[in-house]
Amino acid sequence: MKPIDPLVNRVLDGELPPEVLTPAQRAELARLDRVATLLAEVPPASVANRVMAEVRRPLPGVVERLVRWFGERHTVTISVRPAWSLAVAAVLAALAIIPGRAPAPVLGSQEGIAQFVGRFPGAKSVEVVGSFTDWRPGAVVLRDDDHDGVWRAAVVLPVGQHEYMFVVDGEQWVTDPLAGRFVDDGFGRQNSLLIVRPVSR
Amino acid sequence: MSSAARGGEPSDADIIARVLGGDAEAFGLIIRRYEGGLLRYATRMLGSADAAADAVAEGLVRAYRHLAGCRDPSRLKSWLYRIVGNRCRSHLARRSSSDVSLEDAPPIVDGRDSEAETERADQLERVERALQTLSPEKREAFLLKHVEGLSYEEMAAATGERIPTLKMRVHRARAALLEVLKAEP
Repeated sequence: MKPIDPLVNRVLDGELPPEVLTPAQRAELARLDRVATLLAEVPPASVANRVMAEVRRPLPGVVERLVRWFGERHTVTISVRPAWSLAVAAVLAALAIIPGRAPAPVLGSQEGIAQFVGRFPGAKSVEVVGSFTDWRPGAVVLRDDDHDGVWRAAVVLPVGQHEYMFVVDGEQWVTDPLAGRFVDDGFGRQNSLLIVRPVSR
Repeated sequence: MSSAARGGEPSDADIIARVLGGDAEAFGLIIRRYEGGLLRYATRMLGSADAAADAVAEGLVRAYRHLAGCRDPSRLKSWLYRIVGNRCRSHLARRSSSDVSLEDAPPIVDGRDSEAETERADQLERVERALQTLSPEKREAFLLKHVEGLSYEEMAAATGERIPTLKMRVHRARAALLEVLKAEP
């Protein structure tokens, strides 16, 4: 690849005026200008309606989600990440053998249980927001019943990939260091990644 | 478009304050202001109008939901290009290069009712094909600099890269584009 004359690059970068260029260099400049002009056409498309429909769409509240979940027929238990599989199994087993406890939820074929655990000593509140809550707070609140600084919650989520973060004391967004998978959130930080998979029956 | 109010139009900072204050409809002003450039950028990056529309729509919804995280409203433009750029990168990572189809790109020049228009459309097709031969990093740098008109500082904010790195990519993209176009019949 033949490099462009450094003077042409400096003119294109706004460091020098075009007058410093020779006619041959100006021709090179003109060719690049032509390329940029051709590419500057704006596509005659719009996503405004699609985006505004999402903006206007109300999110179902926690109660509505719970009512919907309990009102549906669920048949399959699904594991979450491999690291959590044993913990989920233990929780389900405990729920099954403790007398007087409600039976473990039976999940739909496209649902799984996600357990969220984070250590936040001294925190007053911890919740999880993510793609499954449309990044709005208030839907998944963690609890620290024994006040040891370890906050926990378990929720039913659809099978698939979900991004999430912890929100501590309502304002501090924290990436789950135990997530194992992360994805750039587009704002210079990393979201934790959770993959809910159906288990084979 | 600057973030400052011009010609009676509200500034980006004003619009952001309105949206965060509960006026969700005001987000439509941000869409109107930046949608064209973002769609153009994503279309050139991905070579597909459908994929570009998905990337921009997802990016704008994401921007709306994280608007409170836009700490500096005067850099909204760079912030939006960063979000949509990330969506484009995710899309490119998910598909193989063989999936890139220029046939899928929108016929931006529609009117072929004159010789000049036909020639212009042919030129655009050649340029788009040359653009797709660049690596995504060089393509991104060239588009942000020469088509979207971002400064190197804005490009650094939009890509997370250092300015010298971006300059080198732009310089190489220029040379590669000229080389490819020169080799075309």
